[in-house]
Amino acid sequence: MVCSKHPVSAAMFMIISLVGVASLFVLLEAFFLAVLQILVYAGAVMVLFLFIIMLVDVGPNAGKSSKMKLISGLAGAFLISLLIVSFLIIVQSSGWIGGGANWSPIIEGAEPVIGDNLSFSTSVKSFGYGLMTKYMLPLQISGFLLLAAMVGVIVLSKKEEQNTN
Amino acid sequence: MVQVALSLLLLPLLSAGITLLFLRKYGNIAALLSVASAGGILAFSSFLIFGKDSDQIFSWSTTWFQLSDWELSFGFLVDSPAKTLLFVVSFVGLLIHIFSLGYMADDKAKARYFGGLSIFMFSMLGITLSDNLVMIFVFWELVGFSSYLLIAHYFSTDEAANASKKAFIVNRVGDFGFLLGIIITYWTYGTVNLQELSVTANLDPSLTSTMLCLLLACGFIGKSAQFPLHVWLPDAMAGPTPVSALIHAATMVAAGIFLLIRIEFLFTVEALKLIGLAGSVMGLYAGFCALTQRDIKKVLAYSTLSQLGYMAAAFGLGLPGIALFHLMTHAFFKALMFLGSGSVIHACHHEQDIFNYGGLRKKMPVTAYTFLIGVLAISGVHFLSGYFSKDAILLGAYNLDFVIFSILYLGAILTSIYMFRLYFLTFCGETRSKSSENAVESSVFMTAPLIVLAVLAVFGGFHSLYPAQIVEYLLPDISRVAEMPHHLWMNILGLFAWVGGLLFAWKIYGSDTQSKDPLELKAPSLFQLSTSKLFFDEVYLFYVNRIQDPFFRFLEVMELLFISGLMVRGSAGVAALFALLGKSFYSGKIHHYSFWFVLGTLGFLAYAILGGGIS
Amino acid sequence: METISPSHYLFLALCLFSIGFFGVLLRRNILLLLMSLELMLNGINLALVTFSRTSLNLDGSIFVFFIMTVAAAEVAVGLALLVALYKKRQSVFSEDMNLVSN
Repeated sequence: MVCSKHPVSAAMFMIISLVGVASLFVLLEAFFLAVLQILVYAGAVMVLFLFIIMLVDVGPNAGKSSKMKLISGLAGAFLISLLIVSFLIIVQSSGWIGGGANWSPIIEGAEPVIGDNLSFSTSVKSFGYGLMTKYMLPLQISGFLLLAAMVGVIVLSKKEEQNTN
Repeated sequence: MVQVALSLLLLPLLSAGITLLFLRKYGNIAALLSVASAGGILAFSSFLIFGKDSDQIFSWSTTWFQLSDWELSFGFLVDSPAKTLLFVVSFVGLLIHIFSLGYMADDKAKARYFGGLSIFMFSMLGITLSDNLVMIFVFWELVGFSSYLLIAHYFSTDEAANASKKAFIVNRVGDFGFLLGIIITYWTYGTVNLQELSVTANLDPSLTSTMLCLLLACGFIGKSAQFPLHVWLPDAMAGPTPVSALIHAATMVAAGIFLLIRIEFLFTVEALKLIGLAGSVMGLYAGFCALTQRDIKKVLAYSTLSQLGYMAAAFGLGLPGIALFHLMTHAFFKALMFLGSGSVIHACHHEQDIFNYGGLRKKMPVTAYTFLIGVLAISGVHFLSGYFSKDAILLGAYNLDFVIFSILYLGAILTSIYMFRLYFLTFCGETRSKSSENAVESSVFMTAPLIVLAVLAVFGGFHSLYPAQIVEYLLPDISRVAEMPHHLWMNILGLFAWVGGLLFAWKIYGSDTQSKDPLELKAPSLFQLSTSKLFFDEVYLFYVNRIQDPFFRFLEVMELLFISGLMVRGSAGVAALFALLGKSFYSGKIHHYSFWFVLGTLGFLAYAILGGGIS
Repeated sequence: METISPSHYLFLALCLFSIGFFGVLLRRNILLLLMSLELMLNGINLALVTFSRTSLNLDGSIFVFFIMTVAAAEVAVGLALLVALYKKRQSVFSEDMNLVSN
């Protein structure tokens, strides 16, 4: 996706990878999140992206290729590899890469709350329970964040209209 | 009384303020206002001198400001010497104001001139009335400032501008010593109030020191233009003539003597002796310089220096009353002569070279005869004012200190020589230039003060003619001198001095009509020595150019190198380096930012791994 | 055949994150840049869900929920800004959006 020249094809690859992640969620038995992933990302966000790509109408190779691009690409690759290596070192040294090989089975019909923790479950009901009890405040804040984003977007587009008039 | 003293002090300030704020363009109104304020000063001060309870010392003070436990008061002390000076300042001041009306009639900057005069009157009265040293110092600086203003009245000429700077800077040197003296006084006695000081000093005479006296006398040396700070006064003659008469002859330079009298109780025997000796040497030296001056005002300036030397000598002999007496008579006859020279200069269209005058007696009779009275008085002709005060000094010196006497006596002979030389060259013989051919007698504004001053110069020496309040301070010393022996001998010597000077001057200058100084032909080496003024200016110039300037240049280089270069620019440079570093981060390119972001993340990771953060 | 262990998921998450980051660093097109950011967030999500699953704890999954919310808001605002900038400068390339003159 990151290598494709045309933004539209990049977006298509993006959708594929998002759907892939959704399927991985299914494999991890997080069905609700998989559905959300499809709906929000593949459905809403990527449609938005495509829409904007069509709107601003960027050609396939409009970006200027320069030496700077090559250098920064190489430097980026180097940095990423450094990042991966250091991450692997941490994971290796912490020693639970081997220990996480077994999946503990999900306990059906377990209590939603065990001690301080919410127990993992496949049902949407436990999600709702967690959001409404332990994560009440973050839920409201994220709602507020969405509102702010909406207002912001409206203001941005409106201001532009005034300027063009 | 307080109201009178306050209004006396504030009247000229008010006049100066109004003039400088509103009347800059209305010279005539400003002149009238200033003269009116001078008249008011005379009225108020005579009320202060002769009012009821005037036989007692009047003092009043209030807190001016307070710095923790250090309090500075603002107050008046009107005792007998203050009354004498008050009389001189207000009376001579009024006459000179009136004279200025005539002299400055055609001047373009009248308002500035009269405003300056009013400021001067304010500050001079301040010195006279102040009851503590700090206040005296403040007004001391103010008279210096107004003197600077007035010398630079013709500021478009280089001479006046340089002279005003010279006067100001040379006075700074003296005032620095004065300030140090005040500080040490406060440190030693814990007060700067004159009355408290005198009480403390009388209780414990051991507190004072010669060092302290000499530091305080530095103020006197600077302001009264005594050795070695005398160089400014002859140059100060670049100002208008009435200013020279008022400030540089009658009052301001005499304020130095007044200061000495105010703090007389502090002086040690050694300090007195030193001042007396320095004063008498000054009397001789200035007389010697005056012999060959060509500028009429410079002759008078050197004569002033010489007479101030006499006053200092009298003070040094322990006769402060006589010093004040001579101050008073000197104020009369020297103001008279300065105003007379002003009248001559005015009539001759600002020609000041005495070799370009001549024969003015017939053209300007009033000026000539009043001037003659002044010359006779300063030469010590019998029964004129100068005779009484000067011969009192000579007699006192004869009986108390023979070295001082002999120096002073030589000075007295020189005085009569250069004074008669001045008179003969100016008023006798034939006219030697065009500008003096057309001279006519000055207006009544100028001649009236001359006549009044001439009367005072004749009769001013009879102390019994004055009201008791004015001469109260003089009497003890006068009677002390009167009881001394050798009166007759002194009279004969005095007669010899002035007659000898008269004859000598007549022989050389009386019949000569050349424009070259006859003394130069007869005694060239002596003449050279006298015109060089004993190289004081040269020595100072050498000091400034060769020693002070290189040193300052060295300091400047040091300053450029270390303070300006290393510290100021250096620290700025370090800051700029950091700024450059910071600026390079702020490139405006998203990708640069993300690189730095990654680097930062890596840094944290490295810390986590290498720093042993993981357990 | 080896079973798929949580560390495989984690490795995949790391790969996703790295590819996204690579895109952020490399691409000049801001649209693609935003997409790469989304990819990075997906990597994080995957890792979170894996942790949540292995420790049988729902908190991780709920965090994924919040991350999705924030990502959606971010995309909306980012794209709006992009459109506004595009109208002003006729470009979606990051080097054209440099307001610092140097």
